[in-house]
Amino acid sequence: MTVTAWVATIVFVATYVLIATEKVHRVKAALGGAAIMLLIHATAAGSAFFSQESGVDWNVVFLLLGMMIIVGVLRQTGVFEYLAIWAAKRARGRPFRLMVLLLVITALASALLDNVTTVLLIAPVTFLVCERLALPVAPFLIAEAMASNIGGTATLVGDPPNIIIASRAGLTFNDFLVHLTPLVIVLTAVFVGLCRLLFRKAFRYDPERAAEIMQLDERAAIQDKVMLVQSLSVLGVVIAAFVLHPVLHYEPSVVALLGAGLLVLVTKITTDDALREVEWPTLVFFAGLFVMVGALVETGVIAQVSRAAAEATAGRPGVTAMVLLWASAGLSAIVDNIPYVATMSPIVADLAHHVPGGDHNVLWWALALGADLGGNATAVGASANVVILGIAERNGVRISFWQFTKYGLVVTAVTVALCVPYLWLRYLL
Amino acid sequence: MRARDLVVPFPTVELDSPVADAARLMAERELPGLIVLDERGAPVSILPGTQVLRLAVPRYCQDDPALARVIDEAHADTFVRALGERTVRQAMPERPRELPVTDPDATLLEVAALMARTRSPLVAVLDGDRLLGAVTLSALLKRLT
Repeated sequence: MTVTAWVATIVFVATYVLIATEKVHRVKAALGGAAIMLLIHATAAGSAFFSQESGVDWNVVFLLLGMMIIVGVLRQTGVFEYLAIWAAKRARGRPFRLMVLLLVITALASALLDNVTTVLLIAPVTFLVCERLALPVAPFLIAEAMASNIGGTATLVGDPPNIIIASRAGLTFNDFLVHLTPLVIVLTAVFVGLCRLLFRKAFRYDPERAAEIMQLDERAAIQDKVMLVQSLSVLGVVIAAFVLHPVLHYEPSVVALLGAGLLVLVTKITTDDALREVEWPTLVFFAGLFVMVGALVETGVIAQVSRAAAEATAGRPGVTAMVLLWASAGLSAIVDNIPYVATMSPIVADLAHHVPGGDHNVLWWALALGADLGGNATAVGASANVVILGIAERNGVRISFWQFTKYGLVVTAVTVALCVPYLWLRYLL
Repeated sequence: MRARDLVVPFPTVELDSPVADAARLMAERELPGLIVLDERGAPVSILPGTQVLRLAVPRYCQDDPALARVIDEAHADTFVRALGERTVRQAMPERPRELPVTDPDATLLEVAALMARTRSPLVAVLDGDRLLGAVTLSALLKRLT
């Protein structure tokens, strides 16, 4: 390796440590790393801005931008609060039934929206419902964070790692629907069963309290019916356009942007309001990350790593997929899965060429499953977990790192273990 | 005219005072807000009445305004009771903003500008570390008009 390659590797590792330990704000760290890569000529404007392989992945950035706008409008309609309270009333105050319904709503919402938004929406209403029923709220919140991570695995737009994988591997929305969604449905069902065991002490039924839950008025959550109908219609059109990619040939990023534009056009939301809902720091973080990883591609570090990985697994797809699955789960438990997947994507793209025979996408699915499900293992494994702990604390409920992690390790071990037979039976036999 | 000419003694609460007591103090004495002191007696926050009210509103209703709408009238009437033993410290806003605090030499224009900028109906007047009291919005308006 050249001197530049070594320096680039050191800069990359140092930035990663800063992001993982949160010593420096992650946006600052990623942009700082990218800046140094440009300074030392490990990459340049031409590749950083315009290269498909080693530059900013604009498909990812613009898909996120479009979805952020759509979700930002959707969350103002009150539809999630409506659903959650409706579910609580349907459960008639029975704690486990309530948890099942809340988890299913969370998982479904996460499949379409990003995980952090989903838990931001479901957590406050969970506090209200649990307070009414005098139930301990921590088990519900922990389970919801996990449900959002599992549900997010199901689709292309469910979790940012999937968005990166889709763009880098050229996988479509339907590929995710066909290959990951069926597994995620099984995983969600198993997860709900696990919750029955893990949180059994939390399910105390009090008939008097249960009657009080029926006094909540879920319809009051929706203030503007017209806007609700408009935004749900646009979301429907967007999902239809994702699915109809083989016919329409619009990229997911284009669909999301057109959807966001349509939403601004038909509703009374102003452009300013719509853009205010965008988490700009996240988008900038992605751009910085891509430039950094791009520098490793440009300097040949990634090629070297993937060659070594291919040799280590002797080119056997089965071994490669399993190592990728478990290593991704383990690493995503500790570091943010977004930088992890951004780094692994070019390596996996290389590996897919080196590993002979079989369905090459199995490596991508192993990466997606490991990275998404691994986030459940610890309290810092996924953004949704961190956000839930933050909301809990603000509401006067402290959930400690270990309180979350002791459940997270069990859930991750079980869900990732279930991926093993799925990947073997479907892709490797 | 200076702040010292308008300042009046003003009741204070401490960080560990229950929110319920703080609310009662405001209601009984019809105060526009409260001055919160730390352990050493220095003001850490000046809470306008609306912000004291915020301390009593369940956090989930602040996080998600739609939830305040779904709560039935009977429960909504008694939301303050759920406060329990919550203290002012626990209910303080996370990000402290600029405090409406000034010195006795501040002019009326300075006090008015500070009030407008911090949206606070009272400004605490400090002589060094010592709290002299506060200038209220109504006292200031009476003087200006």
